[in-house]
Amino acid sequence: MEREHHLIPLKVHGVLVDPNTDTQIVVLRDDGNTEVLPIWVGTAEGTSIRLALEGIVPPRPMSHDLITSFAQHLGFTVTKVIITEVKENTYYAVLHLTANGIERVIDCRPSDAIAVAVRTKSPIYVTAEVLERKSSEHLDAWLAKLDLKHSDQSES
Amino acid sequence: MLVQMNVRGLLFDPYNNAYIVILRDEENAEMLPIWVGKAEASAISFALERIAPPRPMTHDLMKAILDSIDAKVISAVVTDLKENTYFAKIHLLYGDSEFAVDSRPSDAIAVALRTEAPIFATSEVLHKQSSEELERWLENLKPEDFGKFET
Repeated sequence: MEREHHLIPLKVHGVLVDPNTDTQIVVLRDDGNTEVLPIWVGTAEGTSIRLALEGIVPPRPMSHDLITSFAQHLGFTVTKVIITEVKENTYYAVLHLTANGIERVIDCRPSDAIAVAVRTKSPIYVTAEVLERKSSEHLDAWLAKLDLKHSDQSES
Repeated sequence: MLVQMNVRGLLFDPYNNAYIVILRDEENAEMLPIWVGKAEASAISFALERIAPPRPMTHDLMKAILDSIDAKVISAVVTDLKENTYFAKIHLLYGDSEFAVDSRPSDAIAVALRTEAPIFATSEVLHKQSSEELERWLENLKPEDFGKFET
């Protein structure tokens, strides 16, 4: 039980386009590069994360830019996002925000959590439990979804 | 002047590989077609059809964030049309203050539908679109759209 509460900080290493499906893969890594967490996300969310990583400001605000606009206007802060759980290859996340000194925890998809965090420069964490389980549970999905001929792009 | 609009439906536009949200006023006198991307169209369609996805979509997250701090969506207003790009504002009530947040109409509509907030268009936008939109339709027309002529 103790280990479930142990949080590991992760950084977004990159976003890959999976040419076989209508999805993209967000690759998260820890500081020591010993842990890698790939998360499949939709095209819109993947694109949104990539734009923010590359510092591209689109002419009109994207959906996740609107969330940061809400934060700026209303004066709340996104303090952190945590990838909390993985069940049947679906990852779960929460977004922590502070408004008027009170913290709120909001259930969301990791893709939205990451897209917001890269814009608000908020730290991204994963629970030790998720990192442990991904090695067994997620590897199957990775292998099933990733065509071998594209594996050489996995570091791009 | 603001005219209240209802979302009447979503169409697929194969020329632009995009979707069109159709807004109409109560009397059906005014129509405002707005081109939106696939993700935004699906966000709007989920709300229209009252489908609750297994995991919260991006606009469900927006609603959850606003709900968590007791911020209320007052309205979504389509405010301007410049070079085929529509501009919108989401009006929020938080504490005793009102905030107008710049947004794309697609996001504003997706949020308004989830929070049951009214959607408005300015009368300027409704006037502008009738001329600009016609040009856009004409640009997109291909020779075969005009039908076959016997020669």
